[in-house]
Amino acid sequence: MAAPIAERERTPAGTEFNPQIGVEISGIHFANPVLTASGTFGYGQEFARLIDLNQLGGIVVKGISAEPMEGNPPPRIYETEAGMLNAIGLQNVGARRFVEEKLPFLRGLRTRTIVNVFGYTTEDYVRAIEILNDGSGIDAYELNISCPNTRAGGMVYGNDPRLTAEVVAASKRAARRPLWVKLSPNVTDITELARAAESAGADALTLVNTFVGMAIDIETRTPRVSNVTAGLSGPAIKPVALRMVYQTARAVRVPVIGIGGIASAEDALEFIIAGASAVQIGTANFYAPDTALRVVEGIRAWCRSKRLNLSDVVGSIKIPPSAASPVS
Amino acid sequence: MTRMYDEIVAVTENRPLTGGHFLLSLRAPRQAQATRPGQFAMVRLLGRSDVLLRRPMSVYDVSPTTRPPRAAGKRGANAHRQPEILQLLYKIVGRGTRLMAELRPGDSVGLAAPLGHGFFAEEYLEEARRADEVLLVTGGIGIAALLLPARELATAGIKSRLFFGGRTRADLVGVQDFESSVAGITLATEDGSKGHRGYVTEPLANYLERHRGRKFLLMVCGPWGMLRASAELAKRHGHACLVSMENRMGCGLGVCLGCSIRVEGTGHGAYERVCTEGPVFNAEHVIWAREEIPKI
Repeated sequence: MAAPIAERERTPAGTEFNPQIGVEISGIHFANPVLTASGTFGYGQEFARLIDLNQLGGIVVKGISAEPMEGNPPPRIYETEAGMLNAIGLQNVGARRFVEEKLPFLRGLRTRTIVNVFGYTTEDYVRAIEILNDGSGIDAYELNISCPNTRAGGMVYGNDPRLTAEVVAASKRAARRPLWVKLSPNVTDITELARAAESAGADALTLVNTFVGMAIDIETRTPRVSNVTAGLSGPAIKPVALRMVYQTARAVRVPVIGIGGIASAEDALEFIIAGASAVQIGTANFYAPDTALRVVEGIRAWCRSKRLNLSDVVGSIKIPPSAASPVS
Repeated sequence: MTRMYDEIVAVTENRPLTGGHFLLSLRAPRQAQATRPGQFAMVRLLGRSDVLLRRPMSVYDVSPTTRPPRAAGKRGANAHRQPEILQLLYKIVGRGTRLMAELRPGDSVGLAAPLGHGFFAEEYLEEARRADEVLLVTGGIGIAALLLPARELATAGIKSRLFFGGRTRADLVGVQDFESSVAGITLATEDGSKGHRGYVTEPLANYLERHRGRKFLLMVCGPWGMLRASAELAKRHGHACLVSMENRMGCGLGVCLGCSIRVEGTGHGAYERVCTEGPVFNAEHVIWAREEIPKI
């Protein structure tokens, strides 16, 4: 057991302190709280030539559906101020090929493997999970509930607490591994969806997914991305994502994993102080593949300098008693 | 696949050319030595969070250091022969390239290179060997992808010819760099300020018509319309055609799937990544009917 904070803070400066930055989420131990986000890190192998994957807390692989998906026609992406829009269309190899072709590489790593799962009906989600259940080397599932439910007239699962509860409960029953749920930020009150997912059995919540946005070419008066609307990610969304993590961490008991524009250890620490037990690095992987490893080192160095373990920092935000209502 | 290096490298020169074009020289020995003709680089402007993504750019040239070799010592004399400088030819088209134009010697940029499959990937070699002559066809900044292939062909003793088009004569940058490697150069400008007035695919069509019965291989890089027109000409005359495709890219590393283009007959599904399966494709595999790639 680590010494109480007050005691450690009194330890004379200069005494070596090795912070514990490991974290347990949904019964799985992570060597550090930094994961790479779904859709920004392929199936892991693509980055093996660039960084030491074993230094990551975990890898959340590209979203997997029961059947392979082609994705959207180009153009699929567009850069905006401090961010980017994407509408890839969930192109993926399908659950079977993932298990056969991509999982063996991931199994050989010390880092944790989380598989992001999506579908267009509740049955799609369940079927994908059932196929993935047979693959060994998966530590947890992360349910992407930002897809439109084709049967419910295109209503997005993640926008409706009732649909959220339905898909989470069915997936939880099917899953032989811990189930995380990745929430969409395109809602009025994210805590409502967070509570719905928690009540339905989610073991942890990841937030946030991308914000729906768009961009227009004024010369041709056409949308910059073929899908017309697209998901905004990158540093531009960080303050909004942080606010949502802060609100959600206070509204649920399950661990919250923070994501949204994190590009440095300082960004990650803001999310952790706001209540995130771990963080995911997304868009930054595209332009600076070593970001996650720098964030791990930065968190460790910060904890050492403050003589704090990671667990002391999670949710440690100090709100002045005189502050206005946090939800304004 | 060749090794890729992702490093911070120094700018040695950023030379303005005509028509808003620049030639950026980077001291990047590892990238320069690993680059094959037709491969590309991802360039990152450092210290800016408003311009996030790296820019994909063809490797225009690799060259030994511009410094004279050290007078003394065998080692110095040999070392200068290995390429140390990697050059990128670019045109100001948006925010990223406008900022690139401000780079000065001594500044640093992020450079990931070499990337993608070039013109001489294993599956294309056979076509090059069978051809009587290789036609290098390009429009605008597409010229940046063709200098290294032209040199490689000359070294291998394969005859080649350059067809180069632009809107105006100021767009025709780098022509002199090709002179020692190609058997002939045909220029075209839309405004008629240099060479043929019109599209470069017009003199190309005439050339193919005049030399029926000969076996050509086309290597093409340029705007979508020019690629498509060249691919159609090649098909009509029964010649093989390799196209170097351009697209917006999020990562250049094969993970964002942002640069995918529609293909058929490759055995890899409906979409392939320009950054990984490309940028060079067999024109027969590209779906040209759908104008899916707009002005980038």
